[in-house]
Amino acid sequence: MKPKVDPVTLEVIRNALTATAEEMSLVVMRSARSPLLREAGDLSSAMTDAGGFLIAQGRDVPMHMGVMSFTVREFLKRVPPGRLAAGDVWFVNLPELGGNHLPDVKAIRPVFAGGTLVGFAVSLAHWADIGGAVPGSYVTQARDAWAEGLRIPPLRLCSAAGLDEEKLGLVLANVRGADERRGDILAQIAATRAADERMQQIVARHGRAVVLAAMAAIHDRAEAQMRAAIGAIPDGSYQGEDWLDDDAAGGPPLAIRVTVTIHGDGARFDFCESDDAARGPINTTPFITAASVYYVMKVLFGPEIQPSGGCYRPFEVLTRPGSVLQPGFERPVVGGNHETSQRVADALFRAFAEVCPELVSAGGPTTSGLLLFGGRRSDGVWSTLYETHGGGEGARIGRDGADAVRVHMSNVMNTPAEVIEAEYPLRVICQRLRRGSGGGGAHKGGEGQHREYQVLCDDMSVTSMFERRVVAPYGLCGGEAGALFRVTIIGADGRETEMAGKENLHLGRGDVVRVQSCGGGGYGPVAAKQDQGRQKHET
Amino acid sequence: MAANWQVGIDIGGTFTDVIARPLAGDKARSAKVATRPDDRVKGLLAALRAVSLEWADVADLVLGTTMITNAIVEAELAPVALISTLGFGDTLAIGRQNRAHLYRLDPPAKMPAQVPPGLRFEVAERLDHEGRVLQALDEASVEDVLARIRAANVQAVAVSLLHSYANPAHELALAERLRPIVAHVALSHQVNPEAREYERAATTVLSASLMPLAATQIDRMQAVRPAGARLHLFHSAGGMAAPSLLRELPLGLAMSGPAAGVAAAGHIARTLGIAQALSFDMGGTTTDVCLIAGGRAQVGNDRMLGGRPIRQPMVAVHSIGAGGGSVARLDHGALLVGPQSAGADPGPACYGRGGTRPTVSDANLVLGYLDASRVLGDGLKLDAGAARTAIKPLAAQMQVSIEDAALGIIRVANSAMVRALGRITVEQGIDGRGCVLLAFGGAGPMHAVDVAREFGISRVIVPDNSSIFSALGCVSADMSYTRQQTLRMASAAWDAARLERLRDELRASLVGRLQAPAEIAEVALIRYRGQSYAIEVPEPDFSDPGALGRAFQVLHNKLYGFATDEPWELQALRMTATVPRATEGAGGGEGAAGGGEGAPAPSGPTSETPHKTTLCSFAGGAIKTPRFDRAILPVGKAMPGPLVVEDAFSTVIVPPGATLTQDDGGNLVISCGVAP
Repeated sequence: MKPKVDPVTLEVIRNALTATAEEMSLVVMRSARSPLLREAGDLSSAMTDAGGFLIAQGRDVPMHMGVMSFTVREFLKRVPPGRLAAGDVWFVNLPELGGNHLPDVKAIRPVFAGGTLVGFAVSLAHWADIGGAVPGSYVTQARDAWAEGLRIPPLRLCSAAGLDEEKLGLVLANVRGADERRGDILAQIAATRAADERMQQIVARHGRAVVLAAMAAIHDRAEAQMRAAIGAIPDGSYQGEDWLDDDAAGGPPLAIRVTVTIHGDGARFDFCESDDAARGPINTTPFITAASVYYVMKVLFGPEIQPSGGCYRPFEVLTRPGSVLQPGFERPVVGGNHETSQRVADALFRAFAEVCPELVSAGGPTTSGLLLFGGRRSDGVWSTLYETHGGGEGARIGRDGADAVRVHMSNVMNTPAEVIEAEYPLRVICQRLRRGSGGGGAHKGGEGQHREYQVLCDDMSVTSMFERRVVAPYGLCGGEAGALFRVTIIGADGRETEMAGKENLHLGRGDVVRVQSCGGGGYGPVAAKQDQGRQKHET
Repeated sequence: MAANWQVGIDIGGTFTDVIARPLAGDKARSAKVATRPDDRVKGLLAALRAVSLEWADVADLVLGTTMITNAIVEAELAPVALISTLGFGDTLAIGRQNRAHLYRLDPPAKMPAQVPPGLRFEVAERLDHEGRVLQALDEASVEDVLARIRAANVQAVAVSLLHSYANPAHELALAERLRPIVAHVALSHQVNPEAREYERAATTVLSASLMPLAATQIDRMQAVRPAGARLHLFHSAGGMAAPSLLRELPLGLAMSGPAAGVAAAGHIARTLGIAQALSFDMGGTTTDVCLIAGGRAQVGNDRMLGGRPIRQPMVAVHSIGAGGGSVARLDHGALLVGPQSAGADPGPACYGRGGTRPTVSDANLVLGYLDASRVLGDGLKLDAGAARTAIKPLAAQMQVSIEDAALGIIRVANSAMVRALGRITVEQGIDGRGCVLLAFGGAGPMHAVDVAREFGISRVIVPDNSSIFSALGCVSADMSYTRQQTLRMASAAWDAARLERLRDELRASLVGRLQAPAEIAEVALIRYRGQSYAIEVPEPDFSDPGALGRAFQVLHNKLYGFATDEPWELQALRMTATVPRATEGAGGGEGAAGGGEGAPAPSGPTSETPHKTTLCSFAGGAIKTPRFDRAILPVGKAMPGPLVVEDAFSTVIVPPGATLTQDDGGNLVISCGVAP
């Protein structure tokens, strides 16, 4: 029989566990070294129960949800609890182990109370480099997993005795920026240590049995919330489809297809009709697919649903082995994390547009619009700028889309021009809205942005990883599509060439990279608004 | 009558609090009156009359005001034109490209830029990050922009050029051309001399848009002010400043009210020798907490207000949306309190103004903590029946008694406050359990002991004048100015001469505004190369960079549990110039009690006999609980809980297991003990 916990104690403990996860993120944000973590906040923190099921999350990044919900469970399949000890911190980044891509490295600390394993503290951080062929570890030419960088299976870098410098040395020898990476690792260890201490206080305050009962109740509650949300959707089968620009290796667009079947308070999401695995690094994992499902269900039907392992109980998420969403561990995946995850969300939104168009927005910048600039500064220090570019949000019923913004699975910020110019061999020539890029409609799609970077060193590596360059953000209910994403290289000699969506180039001093991010799709036919205007005028 | 009073007035959203201290002889006076949002000058005069004074009686008046805060929150902002560097006119619209709501599609993803496209202008010019001129200010483009600004017919213009924090020349040149044609000009290097163009531009625009309001209001006050009476305003960083300065930099008033409260908390901490304290101010809709280390409120530099970023030195008050009006509900097996609030209208069910949903205040009334028979400050009589009726359905759902449901509401509300206390202490690497909880405001002292126990704090202090604490902060304020400037000096490229020059300039800019010898305090903001957030190193020794680096490492290790020998960078310098408040006259805080005008000092007659005994419910059940009048509470006597101490505006709950002692400064010191 399940032990019971009263509604008051449940909320008090939930508050304390959430605070614990939030505090972890504070520690990582303030002390980590990768610019991504410090400027852009590309990190997540979580507490799980002893089985590895998510209990609380601090500083959400929606695409990390899947990771946080599956990482420890998959980890425990490789490292049984008997091998864990108090003071351990294990690092792992294998995509096939409840993961997403190599740069997102997870630190996992088992938390014991009175000798019993009660849960895990998990700190996920996007390292600015994880090795591989190019700085920043976005290897667009990768055709297998090993080309993408250092693969870290569960590795105990820290124990009660302290850091294992030998293992740490192996990791640091295989990534660029050893000092920075060491700082990231120490920050992640410090964060999980803070969480352990907080957990000890919570257990001391409420007693172990009550805390464990509260964890179980948190899952049950999230499950009940999700079931209530699903129950509100009409039963039926809904199909949605959207396309990746290419297979990241010069091929034609790839389809992501979903059939959503709602039956009572349960839902099945069948992605098996999606295309086969891509040759290039645009594949993703079933865990990311599940994260996108969770995000779409929450944003459309239950924004208040607490992130927890219990959320997933009413779902059945099906992917096909060999497909772009379940490619097998040997396939490259680095871009799929933030590109394909967004396309999964798009396919789901388009499925739900059939049954509830009033809840869904038109297509937006469902791409990170990522460019990585790697070069040596005038003081000889190597620096890598990882920069995402938001675009025009899709319009929806009742309002236009916002300009220059990130949507759905990510919310990573930009780097200010004044920081870029101080820390990287780049000059920002301009940053403005890309006027006219939003799709027309009764409500207009948001505008993309236009930013230009000039190279100030002799050899700069530039890597692109973006989508919506071939397949435009869709309009909805008769609205027009938004403008395509476009990156142009303007040589020091004035010649312009278009950059592909997944490409690595070397640029020289004086070259300019012009980024024009996509506009948002419109909502409702253009004429409808004019008619309304005319009617208003007549009356 | 000679002008021989020092007066602090805090004009809040609902109430205006006033404390008057005599320079000689007389007893201190205090009062709380309803705020008059329609006419601030009349409200100020009414507050003075409430303590039987005219402005002519006042030598020194310090005013805390929510005027600017409210204008920001309610978006009552004057139209502003913005001048940017060519190519950067849309920086405000792009922002940091993040959206406001992670899991909501219906509300707007971003606030629209405060300046519409038609009022965003660009001039051709360019600096680099070290302030070197890459392109001189182009005269033709300046002429063009000036013409368009004349045509736009705006009162205020903000100028925010790229890298102006490193070289203000172009902004200053533009200002010279703008001043003849517009009433108000705000320059970004003066409002906020720090890197990151979006935040600096947004802060400058916001400040510019408040200049017309600040000018009108401050000029009206100055016009009414008798000659010779000094007037100062309480600014966000926790000190007072000349009205003329805040007229130019109205954003300095954005956190005026909360800053005055925590400044008073800092004052108490210094007086009582408390090394680390947490201020705890709970009101109707929000609860504010702030870390006070070494007798000084923590100062931060970034916050959002009304959805807009503000980058200014401000007391680091952390606000959460939980207060007396927070509504409780059962949701899928968990008791949730807030974020919905009954607000001031209709307010909690017990206000009898039509509210029907159960709130934290209703729980406090049902538990017997609030006394239903008393009339509150603004003539409000509480309705215990309505409170019970509101909680009853919730209790039925939870299958517990109404009292147990009410206890549950309080526990959950308190757990949100504990989470806030955890956050502000973890951020500073401090073990919060060693802090003293300083509780004030209307509801803070009612919840303080339970919150302290839940967090692991052993001592709570409810200071003298706790219900009009911001006014106390005003009357005991020092004159101070604070500025933070981006420096970016690498340890490996230490330039002592440049640093000296920058410090001299900063010092001169601060001291120039004061008319008396000032104490200078510096905080160095240092980080490892590559980090984003800098650590505050107090009292930096700039003469010895090696020692400075070691001090940084020690603090880094304390905050994050590690430190390395890598190169570091002096990212910014924060400097505060303070002129201590003249302590002429007897006054002090001692005479003023929270009970309103003419309340006796603790040295007057006291009574150990409660004025009544009522039934209060605690975790262990309902107990007959004595209630004492704060004004006549004995000094130095340890009084075991349960007991209640009341004045006209606030209620202090001392639950079973805790012990209260009033010290000779009128502060209520509570040892939390443990619940029996």
